[in-house]
Amino acid sequence: MMTSTQPATPTLHILNKPPGHPRFESCLQAIQDGDQLVLTENAVLALADRSVTLPAACKAMKADVDARALDEQARTATIDYAELVRLTAEHSRIISW
Amino acid sequence: MTPLNYTLVITGAPWSSQAPQSALAFARELLAAGQRIDRVFLYGEGVLLASALATPPSDEVNWPKRWAGFLADNAIPATVCIASALRRGIIDDTEQARYELPGNNLLEPLGIAGLGEWVEGNVKSDRVIYFHGSN
Amino acid sequence: MSTLIIVDQPPYGNWAGREALDMVFSLAAFDQPAALLFTGAGVNWLRKQQAPDAIGQKSVEKNLSAAPMFGVEEILADAASCERFGLGPEQLVSGVTLAENLQDVMNAHSNVAFAG
Repeated sequence: MMTSTQPATPTLHILNKPPGHPRFESCLQAIQDGDQLVLTENAVLALADRSVTLPAACKAMKADVDARALDEQARTATIDYAELVRLTAEHSRIISW
Repeated sequence: MTPLNYTLVITGAPWSSQAPQSALAFARELLAAGQRIDRVFLYGEGVLLASALATPPSDEVNWPKRWAGFLADNAIPATVCIASALRRGIIDDTEQARYELPGNNLLEPLGIAGLGEWVEGNVKSDRVIYFHGSN
Repeated sequence: MSTLIIVDQPPYGNWAGREALDMVFSLAAFDQPAALLFTGAGVNWLRKQQAPDAIGQKSVEKNLSAAPMFGVEEILADAASCERFGLGPEQLVSGVTLAENLQDVMNAHSNVAFAG
């Protein structure tokens, strides 16, 4: 992670692209200390992808994890849509990747 | 707690992406949590969610109809971006007349508007969340 | 409140880049501060002398060069992506600023969005 020249607002990153999609990598590179990542839709495949290192502050949508039968590989806490709503309320800066 | 105002932007089409499904699940929980949805804006391929002619098999979810029901039940303004809509064949009766087209298919209660709707969401809403496709 | 629109998809294969341009122009038309960042394969939108006639499309070069006149504050290109695609400064359309640090670019804007 690169250091920036000005203090950054904690940002919620909502990512729906799977590992291998160029935007997946761009998103991970953009995450700074204090940010939160939420994996939705195909992005939850990152949980099963051994080549991916996920940031510590990362959650995955349970509905998408269950759909893809990824439970056993779950490397991160899963959340529901109500929790996603709560995260969006808590973050004044949100990037949908 | 003062509710937050959200603008939801959907750029992914039904079936080509999960955008309409994720957005609807999110939208329902927004209201359940006491937050407000200022508007829903369909852009790019997302305009296909506004087609009244989408006819999936009867045992599958009809995403346009499901969204239309949610918008109507909760009186949430929703528009398709006119440039995206015309290009992709999502037409209301006004545009049908203007361009002398064989039909119209804009699903009620959605309307057609320009990108100014989205700009207004940026300016006025507390949060703008995008539901993109898979490209 | 400033908005950064990011284009990371290549030109002509789909409409996402054009839709991003429309977003930026709309913001500018309503006097909202807006900037455009091209990164990844999206930097290929910035090549000079695009000639898409034979594929039935119009070039975006004129729109891009008109952008500052319409109030778009900055057109930025990720330097690393330009290098990856062999885009030297002389091959870029005019009015583009190279960005060395995407983190800094993104942090400078309260809103960051993609067209799709």
